[in-house]
Amino acid sequence: MGARRRTRRRVIVFTTLAVVTGAVFAVASARTTAPRRAYFGRAEPPADDVLRFTNGAEPELLDPGLMSGQPDGRIARSLFEGLVAPHPRTLAPTPGMATRWEVSPDGLHYTFHLRSNARWTNGDRVTAHDFVWSWLRVLHPKIAARYADIFYVIRNAQAYKKGTLQDASQVGIHAADDTTLVVDLDAPTPYFMQLVMYYPFLPVHRATLEKYGDRWTHVDHIVTNGAFKLTFHRQNDRFIMDRNDDYWDVANVRLKRVVAYSLDDLTTMVNMYRAGMTDWNPSGYLPAQYIPFVRDYDDYHAGPYLGTYFYSFNVTQPPFDDARVRRALAMAVDRERIVKYLLHDSRAPWGNVVSPGFEGYPYPEGVRFDPAAARELLAAAGYPQGRGFPSVELLFNTSQDHRKIAEAIQEMWKQHLGLDVKLTNQEWGSYMQSTTKLQYQVARRSWIADYLDPNSFLFMLRSADGNNRTGWSDARFDSLIALAGRTLDEPRRFALMAEAERIALEAMPYLPIYAYSTVELVAPYVRGFYSTPTDTHPLKHFYFERGGAQEAAAAAPGASVGSTP
Amino acid sequence: MKFVVRRLLAMIPTLWVVATITFFMIRMAPGGPFQSEREIPAEAKAALQAQYGLDQPLLVQYGRYLKNVARFDFGPSYKFPARSVREIVMGALPISLELGGLALLIAIVIGVPVGALAAARQNTFLDHFPMSFAMLGVSIPNFVLGPVLIFVFALTLRWFPPALWGDANQKVLPALTLSAVYVAYIARLTRGGMLEVTRQDFIRTARAKGLSETVVIARHALRGGLLPVVSFLGPAMARAVTGSIVVEKIFAVPGVGQYFVNAAFNRDYTLVMGVVLFYAALLIMLNLLVDVMYGFLDPRVRLE
Repeated sequence: MGARRRTRRRVIVFTTLAVVTGAVFAVASARTTAPRRAYFGRAEPPADDVLRFTNGAEPELLDPGLMSGQPDGRIARSLFEGLVAPHPRTLAPTPGMATRWEVSPDGLHYTFHLRSNARWTNGDRVTAHDFVWSWLRVLHPKIAARYADIFYVIRNAQAYKKGTLQDASQVGIHAADDTTLVVDLDAPTPYFMQLVMYYPFLPVHRATLEKYGDRWTHVDHIVTNGAFKLTFHRQNDRFIMDRNDDYWDVANVRLKRVVAYSLDDLTTMVNMYRAGMTDWNPSGYLPAQYIPFVRDYDDYHAGPYLGTYFYSFNVTQPPFDDARVRRALAMAVDRERIVKYLLHDSRAPWGNVVSPGFEGYPYPEGVRFDPAAARELLAAAGYPQGRGFPSVELLFNTSQDHRKIAEAIQEMWKQHLGLDVKLTNQEWGSYMQSTTKLQYQVARRSWIADYLDPNSFLFMLRSADGNNRTGWSDARFDSLIALAGRTLDEPRRFALMAEAERIALEAMPYLPIYAYSTVELVAPYVRGFYSTPTDTHPLKHFYFERGGAQEAAAAAPGASVGSTP
Repeated sequence: MKFVVRRLLAMIPTLWVVATITFFMIRMAPGGPFQSEREIPAEAKAALQAQYGLDQPLLVQYGRYLKNVARFDFGPSYKFPARSVREIVMGALPISLELGGLALLIAIVIGVPVGALAAARQNTFLDHFPMSFAMLGVSIPNFVLGPVLIFVFALTLRWFPPALWGDANQKVLPALTLSAVYVAYIARLTRGGMLEVTRQDFIRTARAKGLSETVVIARHALRGGLLPVVSFLGPAMARAVTGSIVVEKIFAVPGVGQYFVNAAFNRDYTLVMGVVLFYAALLIMLNLLVDVMYGFLDPRVRLE
């Protein structure tokens, strides 16, 4: 009796399992044999002009002067408008709050002429004084602005921030009158107009900040001047921004509303796009393992992106105090293999410090995969076949993607150089602490350009820069970067920077691995969208094409996708 | 009444211990709240530290924190400085309560009848089949069940949306996913409780009186048989509310659960403290509620 009952129970369990798994597989196979659609997400525009997109993790701040990070920036750029605004395709400065601007021949003085018809959402006029106040606020010694240092090209800005200069009127930011803003620089900065388009330079409404303090960005308090205004916010859920009817260029804003969802799970984001709940899944929000499955759909878009993925060495300790060791390790990394097999060609193998995409910049020769030469270098450094090499740890912040690459490189160093390297991962906070305090040997890093200039990648390797995080310093490198900063002639400036990069590649404090690219899903009816190398997409230019799927396919935004440095 | 007051007063030292341990543990984790891949200028970082009093000695910070908590002031979140911890938790709480409540409701509605039926028909197909299914429910983790449900019902059949929290149809999949484990538990607890009760004298008496089996089960056995379920519901509710991290993440539900993990990763000290204290308080309150309900369900239990 007992035995029979047990048998019967087992049969039941197995039948149950079989039914459930059978059902799952039936559904799964039905899906894979179905004919492939042209679009991964929805193909027909929604009935109303509401753009919905996934914006990544909940933004920390809505205050443009203090924030950092892509999700924060996307919201700020929709709500606020600076002196100039980037062209959606070329990213060249176009009129924003300023209708025109002049640069003095020595490149040191910028004069912006503001429009007189620009209004804050509470009805106040936007004046040059708003900009003076907003920028000086970012530079105030007591204000915790993450990006304060990109203002330091402005005369006396750094001294004021550091507190050595008390008098704000000596900072090179002045309003000649309500509509004229004059900015004086320390050195000619050819990319200054690029900087001015960055979100820390967006204006804020003084009276609102003074009234509400830190809480001024609450949906009930916030006062803005951009194409959209904030009408709803729920944390970890969504921002709803409606078209601002008092915006000076409202005639050219075709979206009625923008909904930005805040979530951090990439799979969920892709699910939402797939189910037609979003019209745009921005770059960085597509898991690498999805790429082989979605790359053939017509709503998949890839383009160059000014960012690099690299390993940094702590050069203050042996064995990495020896440049030969660093170069040997760099030459033993087969970047092509990593990109092909682990990243499914969604990135580009890259051996330089400066990312690809800067037209006219004479890239020095990058590091290349050369295991034989790597072995020689390592032997010359005193470790033939890796003998006698101390035990070394490779640090990365916890993530499957970083682990896969670290494992591949660990294997390459073992195979080509005979080195045994241990992998360690730390969660974000600990990893940040370890890298900033140089408590590591080799660590994963990445860098995204803040502005369209090779300097965005090179300045961080200067001796005292907080982003250096290697302990490497080279007086020649520093003086070349400083000299480039004072040089107006672009080819000459680029040549100086290329020379600096060559020094960095010889010393190899950073071991370049690959260059990022933008990979995004954009519904076929979305217009005004272009893949840009800084992944900047001014939403005011977005609109929906309502010509039906056929026409939409013919004029898919893929046609306009391309490199626009 | 006296019992409830005494228990509520006993909460205070418990919460104090929780607060103290959490406070020092999170401070022991390397790093701090103001780090980013792009170095924050030293001046700006110093300004931030000073603004939140993080430049003070740890004990001073601890004292100040306790003083503020006693006044229900949990401070601003470091990560989201425009919002206070109280605002963040209170904004997310109704959503977590709703999700957890729905999941438990589903679990009770399915689990209790299934368990009762299984007990009544012990060792038949009606017992084995649902119970093996329940076993499956306990064993399948959320992060497997959720994606399977999304794949089948959201992306293939397109009956429900795969994410977000708003309309009723957005609540079905997350609530179902979260309920699976509780359905299984409740069914098994009901069955076990019922089996134990039905062997007791008063059930035999009821049957001897000639009452129909349905009446015996529904009126007499179920009341006692549900006791284990009731005691399970308290911690289950607390778990469903705050332990739904995975479900919240998969379905992009803006509840409290996500803050548990993210706040710790971000070293958002105040938010970590707020969420932990809130969870501790919730757990204590729900346990108290269970004890009170025990008194109603089982005349033998007296609250003293």
